[in-house]
Amino acid sequence: MPFPNRASSSLNSIIHPTDLPAPMPGRLRQTPLKNPDRPYLAIGLEGSANKFGAGVIKHLEDGSTSVLSNVRHTYITPPGEGFQPRDTALHHREWALKVINECLDKANVSMHDVDCICFTKGPGMGAPLQSVALIARTLSLLFNKPLIGVNHCVGHIEMGRDVTGAQNPVVLYVSGGNTQVIAYSRQCYRIFGETLDIAVGNCLDRFARVIDLSNDPAPGYNIEQEAKKGKRLLPLPYATKGMDVSFSGILTAVEAYTFDKRFRKDGQPKDANDQDIITPADLCFSLQETIYAMLVEITERAMAHIGSKEILIVGGVGCNERLQEMMRIMAEEREGKVFAMDERFCIDNGIMIAQAGLLSFRMGFETPLAKSTTTQRFRTDEVHVSWRA
Amino acid sequence: MTSASLDLILASTLISQGAEAKVYKAKLSSDPSDSEILLKHRFRKGYRHPTLDGSLTRARVAGEARALLKCLRAGVNVPGVRMVDAAEGVLGIEWIHGQSVRKLLPGGAGEDEDASGDSEPEAADALREYDIPVDALMQLIGQEIAKMHLADVIHGDLTTSNMMLRHPSSFKSRHPTLSTELVLIDFGLSFHSSLVEDKAVDLYVLERAFSSTHPDSEPLFASVLRAYEQRMGKDWAAIGRRLEDVRMRGRKRSMVG
Repeated sequence: MPFPNRASSSLNSIIHPTDLPAPMPGRLRQTPLKNPDRPYLAIGLEGSANKFGAGVIKHLEDGSTSVLSNVRHTYITPPGEGFQPRDTALHHREWALKVINECLDKANVSMHDVDCICFTKGPGMGAPLQSVALIARTLSLLFNKPLIGVNHCVGHIEMGRDVTGAQNPVVLYVSGGNTQVIAYSRQCYRIFGETLDIAVGNCLDRFARVIDLSNDPAPGYNIEQEAKKGKRLLPLPYATKGMDVSFSGILTAVEAYTFDKRFRKDGQPKDANDQDIITPADLCFSLQETIYAMLVEITERAMAHIGSKEILIVGGVGCNERLQEMMRIMAEEREGKVFAMDERFCIDNGIMIAQAGLLSFRMGFETPLAKSTTTQRFRTDEVHVSWRA
Repeated sequence: MTSASLDLILASTLISQGAEAKVYKAKLSSDPSDSEILLKHRFRKGYRHPTLDGSLTRARVAGEARALLKCLRAGVNVPGVRMVDAAEGVLGIEWIHGQSVRKLLPGGAGEDEDASGDSEPEAADALREYDIPVDALMQLIGQEIAKMHLADVIHGDLTTSNMMLRHPSSFKSRHPTLSTELVLIDFGLSFHSSLVEDKAVDLYVLERAFSSTHPDSEPLFASVLRAYEQRMGKDWAAIGRRLEDVRMRGRKRSMVG
């Protein structure tokens, strides 16, 4: 083992089998995660897409958690452009030390105090993932701390559960790279439905590029603001297939409207007689109404299938207030409850990596240096969720 | 404003509510000799834009009715269509007296949380009531699916819950030896396709449903496939090959980013 793990002896005593109560029949099983015997600290580093984030989290003896700091820097490209892997990796390398130092300062801890260094193993863009893993490895060797490789999606889910207090929700994970409906079952986050092609956030981002919306603070945010001015619902394909969805055809269809002769790029009619027009705001409105209805529909199917009353929305698109509102209406019709978060925890951040990493570290998991690689493909259901019953 | 369909719903009993629709048991007339029908009401979804909701509901109700009619014309055993009101989202179909195949096979009865562990003898007892050996039941399943696929209808959600056996007392069987009949139900996710891929995925979905609801059911599904193969004839070779591919990759793609 590359690390003399000073936490291992105490951890063993925490999860010693004789401490565990006899397995209970039925569904009421005791959580395998015991309260820590001392406070634990973890730093999390995230950079699977265009945000570099670092955060410090603390797990206390009474089982509660506290977020000590959560710092993020976003790589913003000019309107009409997306972020390229190479440039994004450069951005992360440039900002990593500044962000990590700021995060430690805000938390008022030193690298020597933390118990483990958590980083995103995947899924994500290759080059940015690699540069962040390199930083994590370097820190781990410098300060002699164990490394924990974390699945990005599990990070989102664990942070969402911690912030909102949702017990066993159906999770809708919607971001620029992922679109999944997830439910927990037998130590695995099972994927009930997902996108068959591009992610919902990707669809929004790319449409923002088509109509030249700003990427600052986020293309999806600007689409949401634009959509508030839209009035006309234009027909778009509605592509749910069982529990799965598909967005690429919708993107093509909404793009096609920008070549329609009724389309007015500036949103203004040419003259008083020019009534039958399509504005960018109308397109944003139609796009949002259609794709969010699809997402709410597959979430409702998953809820009906497993009989759950709770919904947790995570991922960058989860900040969208229209999506949250639609989800809330659906939940009320089913007498359920929606848990959603604001941009601090919805959008990619370091703290969620720290949270998921520390949970698995407390269960005795760590990533040896030789295995601290990254992977672009890492499904949510590949992770063994050892810390849940 | 009320419509005749909504009045009918008000006068009927709610059986269950799924994500998509509420299911009612109703009678079209007050005549006691008139048989019952099943009403499937795709109710309004408040979260959806009214225009979008209206057009989706219309398209789905009409699509489901169309698939049922297509099956009926091709001789597939499905519930008969009794009424369609696409604008209100109401579909009325024949009421099937009987039991879902899921409840008749070992493991499937434990659907309810509070069911006790001794479901297997119950399942066997229930099957005896329908006077059909398990193997004959599997053959019926394979044949019905093959008939449906030959008509280019893809069910989209094949599970053992979506198949029913008619109770022998509820109808007169035309079959020489069997007193029951297998009926495919719930065409809510069905679509029209002649692609080998879609038929293979349809079978794969059923295979997964078998293995997740009925433990140790591999031989059962194998006998479903044998009957399917026989009925499909020359079309089987391509579908069988594609089924192998689908098994290898799964229904889902590998996740990127």
